[in-house]
Amino acid sequence: MKTFIQKIIVLTICTIALASCEDVVKIKLDKGSKLVVIDAFIDDLRKPQIVRVLNNADYFSGEASEPISNAQVVLKDLTANKSYTFTYSGNGNYQFNLTVNDTIAKTNHQYELNVSVNGNLYTAIATQKRRAIASKIDLKKDFPFIDTSGIFLGIADTLIEPSGFGGNQPKPYYTSLLFAVDIADNNPDYYRIKVFRNDTLFSKAGDIIVCVDGTNGEIYNSTEPANFFSPPATFLGFKEYQKNDKCRAEIHSISRDAYNFFIQAQAQVSNGGLFATTPENVRTNIVSPKDGIKGVGWFNMASVTTSSLVMGL
Amino acid sequence: MIFAYSQEKYTISGYIKDASNGEVMIGATVTKKGTSIGVAANEYGFFSLNLPKGTHEIVINSIGYAVQTFTIELDKNTKLNVEMKEEGKQLDEVVITGEAEDKNIKSIEMGTAKLDIKQINKIPALLGEVDVVRSIQLLPGVTSVGEGASGFNVRGGNVDQNLILLDEAPVYNSSHLFGFFSVFNPDAVKDVKLIKGGVPAQYGGRVSSILDIRMKEGNNKKFAVNGGIGTIFSRLSIEGPLKKDKASFIIAGRRSYLDALVKPFLKETSPLKGVVFNFYDLTAKLNYRIDDKNTVFASGYFGRDQFGASSAFKFNWGNSTATVRWNHIFNNKLFMNMTTFYSNYDYYLEFTAPSNNQSFKWSSNIINYSFKPDFSWYVNNKNTVRFGAQVLYYDFLPYKAIGKFQEGAEVKFVSPKRYGAEYSAYIANEHKIKPRLTIEYGIRVSAFTYLGKGTAFTFRDTIPNTELPLQDSVRYGARVPIQNYINPEPRFAMNYVVNQFSSIKASYNRMAQYLQLISNTAASTPLDVYTMATNNLKPLVADQVSVGYFRNLKENMYETSVEVYYKYLQNQLDYIDNANLFINPTVENQLLQGLGRAYGAEFFVKKTKGKLNGWISYTLSRTERLVRGISNGDWFVSRYDRTHVLNTVANYDLTKRWSLSANFVFLSGTPSTFPNTKLEIQNISIPYNTTGNRNNYRITPFHRLDFGATFNFRKNDVGRYKQTLVFSVYNAYNRRNAYSIYFRQNSTNPNINEAVRFSVIGSIVPAVTYNFSF
Repeated sequence: MKTFIQKIIVLTICTIALASCEDVVKIKLDKGSKLVVIDAFIDDLRKPQIVRVLNNADYFSGEASEPISNAQVVLKDLTANKSYTFTYSGNGNYQFNLTVNDTIAKTNHQYELNVSVNGNLYTAIATQKRRAIASKIDLKKDFPFIDTSGIFLGIADTLIEPSGFGGNQPKPYYTSLLFAVDIADNNPDYYRIKVFRNDTLFSKAGDIIVCVDGTNGEIYNSTEPANFFSPPATFLGFKEYQKNDKCRAEIHSISRDAYNFFIQAQAQVSNGGLFATTPENVRTNIVSPKDGIKGVGWFNMASVTTSSLVMGL
Repeated sequence: MIFAYSQEKYTISGYIKDASNGEVMIGATVTKKGTSIGVAANEYGFFSLNLPKGTHEIVINSIGYAVQTFTIELDKNTKLNVEMKEEGKQLDEVVITGEAEDKNIKSIEMGTAKLDIKQINKIPALLGEVDVVRSIQLLPGVTSVGEGASGFNVRGGNVDQNLILLDEAPVYNSSHLFGFFSVFNPDAVKDVKLIKGGVPAQYGGRVSSILDIRMKEGNNKKFAVNGGIGTIFSRLSIEGPLKKDKASFIIAGRRSYLDALVKPFLKETSPLKGVVFNFYDLTAKLNYRIDDKNTVFASGYFGRDQFGASSAFKFNWGNSTATVRWNHIFNNKLFMNMTTFYSNYDYYLEFTAPSNNQSFKWSSNIINYSFKPDFSWYVNNKNTVRFGAQVLYYDFLPYKAIGKFQEGAEVKFVSPKRYGAEYSAYIANEHKIKPRLTIEYGIRVSAFTYLGKGTAFTFRDTIPNTELPLQDSVRYGARVPIQNYINPEPRFAMNYVVNQFSSIKASYNRMAQYLQLISNTAASTPLDVYTMATNNLKPLVADQVSVGYFRNLKENMYETSVEVYYKYLQNQLDYIDNANLFINPTVENQLLQGLGRAYGAEFFVKKTKGKLNGWISYTLSRTERLVRGISNGDWFVSRYDRTHVLNTVANYDLTKRWSLSANFVFLSGTPSTFPNTKLEIQNISIPYNTTGNRNNYRITPFHRLDFGATFNFRKNDVGRYKQTLVFSVYNAYNRRNAYSIYFRQNSTNPNINEAVRFSVIGSIVPAVTYNFSF
């Protein structure tokens, strides 16, 4: 419900904004202490898996964070009792190249990430949650029969012909929608949906889509299990596509804590207006050593479902 | 002297009213000439004075009214109903309070400010609209987190710590249009009293302040119409006698028309075409004097803010209150007021997509019912005892959300209703120990029961500032107590009159509060809900001590005061990081409770008379909190801490037709948490504060100058029709005061972060309002 509420609040703020104003100001900030930042989102896609290990950077520096090149990164599959060593490939990236037939990420397995920096050990635990399975829905036949025992998933395109002000008529464009139903049981599933246009990820903070059981937010004690994707379709970020553009959506299973991490990060990245919340530090699931530099960041293992569509065909 | 005490004594009692309209005069004083023996009329204009047998010269005093003197041969209990006539107004005798000139010295009240509606009318206002809540923010110790924020903060208290009473019924959201205007129609308001410290025992339920707003009774001599046409809304009120000198009424309404004004200028295709954006309110009161001993009053308020875009989006909220009161005089020493009230605050939000039959409807409300007898017992001219009781029943619907997402399929998220009952009883005595020393001592005992039907949750303890895991839930049947709390609340106040022009006052009070607003945003939103004390949430308790020195100069022309206070709060609400506060049945595990402390000094100089009048106040203060798991477990300054606050209000009567006014405010910037570094995770640049300290910076100070000018169409006070034009310039030197500073990624270059100043009012706001009355 939280994201939904935020949308209302944003809407409200927009109205106030008719009278209010914003401008960029110069602020002098203190220098923060050094941190080890671990960005470890590993999935079961057949591509090199990457863990990033960086230092933090001054907020206004305008520069990328300084990479940590001398870390040792090991991923342990506690369920299968296997471990995988990631090797440094530059720019703070530690990489693991998969063999042809296997992935390191398996549903329901428990994993431990070990990152060692200058003798300090940073650890994190994650369990890989179940996947959403893709299956396209044919929207042309009105709204189809939905079998609540199955999972349906698919991207649809919809042509938007905007009505503009005056003579300045904007061009029509396509936008993408995700139609799906989720498993109708009482165990909530948390997802992050990554959206790509022609294989380029929409990567800004505002582009992050997370959902619970396909709905817009976390819902408690509903009188029936939530079994729909936000009603009944989720706009994949209101992005514009031209004809023949390819839209791809990856649905990553995430833990509830990871879901909350994204919600929190999104809230912190642009926290303005009359109803801004108290700024806070994002949580981390990285366990830092007792002494030494504090570690922050997130570790998640994901099962991924992919769906794609070429627009306007 | 012992002989004098054994003398027979009799009582003079009665009502004091304004001769022109029959309105009772709160606070007018009745004294025996040449002595300190006297009494002030209560909230209903009633007084009772006990004097020995003999001949007495009784003086009735109220600023702006001709002093009346009666010679009374006192050989039995005597009734004295007085009608006061306004003094023939001279230009240099501008009236700004309706009380005795030296009341601030003689009265035991401290930490108390009264604003007469005449005075409020003179302050230059945003968009030319006179406003009660914005006016009290010019008093020492009262601030807000910024322009447009609803509510107000008193001596470092949260917005939910103010008990806002409209004819004794609590108002839960005092704001229209978020926080730009208050819900009180100035045309229907008679008296505004704000109590920040030394709170008398008859008030309770909130820990920071009492804002006691009394509505006019309505002119019982003749019909009168008041109205105004302003830039953003219009007002109209009608009052008059139903039965001369016996029964009268007032009905007052306001409606804003921002949306209606904008409409003609929008094109058919504009997305703003269907926008609804307005508020309205209606205030009404009836009163009937049955006989000399019985008067009944019925008053009501209904107001709503509406906000939406055609049929797709509707959002509205509002308060309604209804009060019935009965004043009864048992005998010339015992006065009773019996009040019953109903109060409701609710909001409704709806999104619909008619094309595919989808909708989402969300509502919430908080309803109060109460019964409250209060007694004033004028024991003798040294002791006045007040006692009474109150029962207050709470009926909350935290949320009810119904989503219709597909044909026929409804998904409901409905919180069970929450119930609670608050009981209290009090007794206090104002005791004039010596002519110069008055003390008031009393106690209020309040109790609260969290009632079924409902489910009580218990949670396991965990690391502070994380969601508490659910341990157990227990169902309770209807009206079964789930949790009980009881709090004795001692109250004490004293006044030592040093000489005719100065006094020293001190007070201590403990207050308990059984419901708190759940809001972790800078300004509270109309969607925020209250929570009552539960098995997990303890009631908020505050202790306050204050000491003050009051001195009047130049024959009461100048009133000055210095007050210092220290306040300590327990069980103040705070929130875990990333708290999920909406549509959450176990919202209690998102909440934290901590300590608070606030201290400060308030300096006040007021010029009450003359062509130039007004006041200057300066407050130096600090407000802090201590919450386990937040800010490394250390004390941190609260969001509404303002170190320095300077308020200047000036009125100048230029000619008989023109009067000018100005005010200037300066407030230290509010504290804010700024990051000192950024984390790069999943391509997002996340602001991060490595110290973990909350509110580690302050935004830039707030200052603003406003001007107002009133033009009176008439040269003199003769005749019935009165018209004025009020011109105002708000934010005269066009300052962009920061409401907040926040941080974001640059929209075109995500590698660059920037700090953004958000200003609610970023320009000069001129306005003209036309007022009329006849």
